[in-house]
Order: sequence, then structure tokens, then C-alpha cells
Amino acid sequence: MIFDLQSGETPKEITGDVCVVGTGPAGVTLALELARKGRSVVLLEGGGEAYEESSQALYEGAVIGHGHIDVAASRLRQFGGTSGHWTGLCAPLDALDFETRADIPHHGWPITRADLDPFYARAHPYLDLGPYRYDWEDWRSIVPFPALPLDPTKILTDVYQQSPPTRFAEKFMETVRADPKIACWTHANLVDVTLADGGDVVTSVAVRTLDGRATTVKAKTYVIACGGIENARILLNARKQRPAGLGNEHDLVGRFYTDHMTIETSMLLFRDDVDTRLYPTSLKYDGAEILMGLKVHPDVVKARNLNNNSAFLVADYGDAVYSDDFRNYGWVAFSTMLKTFSRGHVPDRFAERTCDVVDDLGSVATGVYRHALRRVLPEKPAQAFRLRQDAEQAPNPDSRVTLTADTDPFGLQRIALDWRVTNEDLLRLRRTHQFIGEQVGAAGLGRLQLGVSDPPDPDIAYSGYHHMGTTRMHADPRQGVVDADCRVHSTKNLYMAGSSVFTTGGCANPTLTITALAIRLAEHLAVSA
Amino acid sequence: MGKLTRRALLGTAAVGAFGLAAYGGGRVACSFVPRNHPDFFSLLDIPPDGAVARRIGEGALAEASLSSDFDGLAAAMKLRPLIAEAVATDCPTTRRQLVQDQCAADFAEGRCVVIDGWVLSETEASLCAAKLLRPSLI
Ligand SMILES: Cc1cc2nc3c(=O)[nH]c(=O)nc-3n(C[C@H](O)[C@H](O)[C@H](O)COP(=O)(O)OP(=O)(O)OC[C@H]3O[C@@H](n4cnc5c(N)ncnc54)[C@H](O)[C@@H]3O)c2cc1C
Repeated sequence: MIFDLQSGETPKEITGDVCVVGTGPAGVTLALELARKGRSVVLLEGGGEAYEESSQALYEGAVIGHGHIDVAASRLRQFGGTSGHWTGLCAPLDALDFETRADIPHHGWPITRADLDPFYARAHPYLDLGPYRYDWEDWRSIVPFPALPLDPTKILTDVYQQSPPTRFAEKFMETVRADPKIACWTHANLVDVTLADGGDVVTSVAVRTLDGRATTVKAKTYVIACGGIENARILLNARKQRPAGLGNEHDLVGRFYTDHMTIETSMLLFRDDVDTRLYPTSLKYDGAEILMGLKVHPDVVKARNLNNNSAFLVADYGDAVYSDDFRNYGWVAFSTMLKTFSRGHVPDRFAERTCDVVDDLGSVATGVYRHALRRVLPEKPAQAFRLRQDAEQAPNPDSRVTLTADTDPFGLQRIALDWRVTNEDLLRLRRTHQFIGEQVGAAGLGRLQLGVSDPPDPDIAYSGYHHMGTTRMHADPRQGVVDADCRVHSTKNLYMAGSSVFTTGGCANPTLTITALAIRLAEHLAVSA
Repeated sequence: MGKLTRRALLGTAAVGAFGLAAYGGGRVACSFVPRNHPDFFSLLDIPPDGAVARRIGEGALAEASLSSDFDGLAAAMKLRPLIAEAVATDCPTTRRQLVQDQCAADFAEGRCVVIDGWVLSETEASLCAAKLLRPSLI
């Protein structure tokens, strides 16, 4: 069921087994899984069913570190959360990402990839992904193009999958509305968390609307699933009973903020006879849309003190006809509408999409023209490629979310994001590319020109809009905010869901892991809550 | 970095790109061709002329790991088995392929340099350097 806290009579108190705050991929997945297990869920959403400027404005804050990032437009504060923005690239984290590494301080989760595998598999249908297979060996007999003949003990062919991308509002809003075990309240902003006097048990959360209504939610268990930045903000603001902020007894909340450094640089040039058809675009096989990249083998990553990385090959066509640089919001809206019409349906968000097309008419026209030409011109594979990646950053306690003196209409302090992009991380990427270049040379396939300079230029790095690490998971309360079950160490019944719990970011886009962790958390809470 | 064409770069970096077929075929064909035994100088025609190869040559001369005089470069290169073989071969196709194979072996064994951003084998960098230093009275 979905209720609007801004209309009708405001309940004095709302109760349920589990209170889940946030309706992004983390919150919705968790609520549906818990409901399926018979738990009554109070699901709170600060925004409305659709976009509202007043709600979105609550996300505004300051950027005080690396500048190629944004804290408001990179998130969506409405039902479905930032899944309304995401572009759908998915992969599980690697086993290496979970390991403790002697060469990289603070690296390693208290759980392993094997612990998450069953939940990754169950997360796939939520995100409309194909079979849970990310090993190139599982695809090589299906895909008709060969991988580059590189030494597999040095360079692996990495497989990612593409979600349509699933918009959680479109896909799950009606399911949530129809579910009798879920009471979802929109315009219901969590503004405070109350602990039993002197204790470590959350007894209620305070909820308010922007038009001044207030209520209280009481449950046995509480889960905050408000995204990688907001999760930290909520805990840091909850200082009524814990002066440093809830869960912040060891000054860890907001620290270790990590993102993926989105960087497109370095140029690979191949001999004319090298078959590169596997790489530049996604391919559809076996019910999946897959995209292949180059990944340095984990043994080499450790031996050479590298960060994890997956490099995708972006074709640099001499002929503009083959370039996809027209792909922007307008083009995506246009192609989505075209596909939907061709299936005999009227596209949803029709007005919004039409306006996107109108805004970007030039790109849409270029796209249509180039697609038409490609049908008649002979295929001309590119032999020059730029490397595009969402590169990992090593955990860094100085990269962090803090509070500013500025407050929002609820009186909650806004955030300042001090995202650090270090020379060491960039130099590790340079060494990664250099290694790829050496392997391509050893195989006699071509040569690589490095795009990461030494000393590096941090301006090449852009945020992947993957906000991670601010309530990190660690078995030791002095090194992490939540334990292996995602429970805030210093409380008995408060849990965090989403990428804020990531101990390391790896190089995989986060939403598949967020969804898998939500399913895992539901399993845990179904037993304990 | 100046604007470089892919052709020039590949030509320089890969020091000729012929496949194994050309190699095998070339060896057979060359065995019937009467010739004088060439020397190290025959290798200097392999890197293409032009600004890119020149820049790589200059970069290679500044590399601490490589010799910076002609004789030193020639001596060091002739210690590499495939270069030694190339020097003793008078078929240009075979020579090119041997040099290319030596480049690949350099990469595999970690004998690489970064010059002008290019990740190169020591062999190709040394050849570009040697070409720059080629004594004029030979
Ligand atoms: C442009 C873009 C492209 C992206 N592409 C990819 C991609 O290709 N692959 C990938 O894996 N990820 C991608 N992402 C990231 C992806 O969108 C996020 O990882 C994902 O949405 C996070 O899910 P979440 O549920 O943790 O948080 P969110 O989706 O951010 O949801 C948080 C929810 O909490 C609500 N909320 C916040 N504060 C409160 C409060 N105080 N009270 C009540 N409710 C509150 C919000 O309204 C929202 O509904 C992309 C992001 C962007 C911006």
C-alpha cells in the first residue's frame, strides 16, 4: 500500500516489524523481500511518487574536495531513488575486492565474494539482467567474436551486464502499492532517530513532511537506505543522544568516502588484422546484454600494488559515421520511445521523454542520420581505442562527508563532500595501463600510449556518481560503522543498506552489489527481526 | 604531445607489422635469393622516417636504462638473440619479423620503456635512437 503523508489525516504513530527508510534499489528490494517473508514493513520515502523540486532541494550541499562531482543532481529524492537516473551497467565485485591486502591499508570486507554469490544471483531479476554469469569462459562459446589473444594469467576478459536500465519506480511502484505487508509513506522524511534512554536500542524515528506534518514510526528493527551520502548525513545529524552522531563513536561516519574515478584516457592501437569486434559495443546473447573489458589478473594487481580496474575499449573511429558521440539524454529518450512504439505500446513518461528529445534535437538527428548511413556503408572496424574505466580508489579516511553550518527546512545540517582523488590512485591507474600496453606488445597486437601523466593531472577524473564507503563494514567497531550483517556496531537494531556499507569500492558499478546486500539483509532480518 | 596519425604511430611503434605467414613465406623465399651479409645498419631502415620516430629516438637517448652512443646501442642490441639473427639475415622481410619478435620478447620479459607516453620495447626505442645517431660516413 502507498499512502501520502501530506494528504489526509496524519497518523500519530505508524508501526510495523521493520521500518525501511528510502525507496531506491536498496530500500525497495529489502521491503519486497521482507514482505515476501511475512514481515510487516513500514517503507518511508522522503519524496513523492514523482519528481518534486522542493524534495530534490533537500539534497543540496557543498563540494569542497575534488571538483568533478555533484551532490544534488547525481541523486534523485523520490520514489525509486537514483534508479531514475542510473545507466544500468552491472557487475559483481571481484573476490579480490573483499580481501585484506597487505599492500593497501583498510582494504577488505568481513565477508567474501562467495558469501554474496547466491544473493547476486537473486538480485539479477530485480535489475532485469541475464543469467548470473560473469566469467568469460561462460560466454566464449556463445559469442561469435574472439577475445584478444592475451596471456590469461596476466589479462582477463571481463564481462559486465547491462540493465535496461531498470527504473525502480516504473517496475515496482504498483507491486509495492498492491502489497498488503508493505505500508509505504511518501513525503515522509526521516529527521531523527531516538534511542531508549541511555541504551543502544532504537525505539522510534521521527518523520516530517515539508508542509509541516509530523509523526513517529515504531518498529522492532530500522534500516536506513537513503544512499551513500545521505546515510552518513542522517547518522551525523542524529546527535540528540550521541553527541558525535549515531554510530560515530570512532569518528568513522562519513569517512572513507569513495567513488569510481570515471576516466577515459590512454590509447590502444592495434595492428590492422587484429579482431576487436568483441569490445566496442554491448552484445546481446542468451537473454543478456553484455559488455567486455580488459582486467589485470588479481595476482598481478596484488604483486604490482595496483587498484582493481576494468578497462573498456571506446572505439576511436576515423570516420564520424561510426562515432556514438550523439548519445545523450535526448537520444536515449528517442530510442526508448521508438522501441516502445514498435512494440505497440505508448511509452511511459511520454511528456518528459518528448521534451528530452526536443531539447536535444540536434543529437537525435545526428544519431538517426548515422544509423541510416551505417546500414549502407561497409562495416569498418576501428583499430584505435581509448580506455574507459570506473577506476577503483584505495580506501582513504580523509575522503569524507561532513556537515556544514547550513541547514535544510527540517533544521538538519547539510553536507560538504570532500572527495579526494590522490596521485597514488592515478599513478596506480597509469601502471595498470602500462601493464596492459606491455601485454598487448608481448602478444604482438599493437601499442599503447599512456594518457595518465606522471605526475598525474587529477582533472582527468570524474565522479562515477557511485557514492560509497561512508558507513563502511568492518568486523572491528574501531574500523567500521557496521558489522558483517550491516548492523550499526553501537546499536542493537539499526541497520544500513546501500553502498555506504562498502568497505572497498572495487571497480564494479555498485547497484548489483547494493541489491544483493539488500536481499542478504532481508534474510538476516527475517530471522532476527 | 603533437598530433600523430595512427599510421605513423603504428609504423614506429610496431616497427613493421607482418604476420607469421609473411614470416614463414619470407624465409622460404629468401633462402633462394643470393645476397651479401648485411650488418647492424640494415636494421636502421626499419623505423620509419619522421617526427614520431625522431621523438622516440630522442626520448630513448634520454633514458637512463639505454646506452646513449651508437656503438653502445648496437652492442647492447646485438646481445639479443633475435636481433643477432636479424643482423645476420639479408632478407628484409625476415629481418623485420625478427625485430618484431624481439620487441614482443622484450615486452614479455619486462624490457620496456615509456617514451612520449608510448609503452615501447627497448628494442624499438633503441632502434629509433640508433637511427638518429647513425654515423654519417658509413
Ligand atoms: C547518472 C548516474 C548513472 C549511474 N549509473 C549507474 C550504473 O550504470 N550502474 C550502477 O550500478 N549504478 C549507477 N548509478 C548509481 C545508482 O543510481 C545507485 O547506486 C543506486 O541508485 C543507489 O541505490 P540506493 O537505494 O542505495 O540509493 P538511492 O537510489 O539514492 O535511493 C535513496 C532513497 O532514499 C530516499 N531518501 C533520502 N533521504 C531520505 C530521508 N531523510 N527520508 C526518507 N527518504 C529519504 C530518496 O528519496 C531515495 O528514494 C548511477 C547514478 C547516476 C546518478
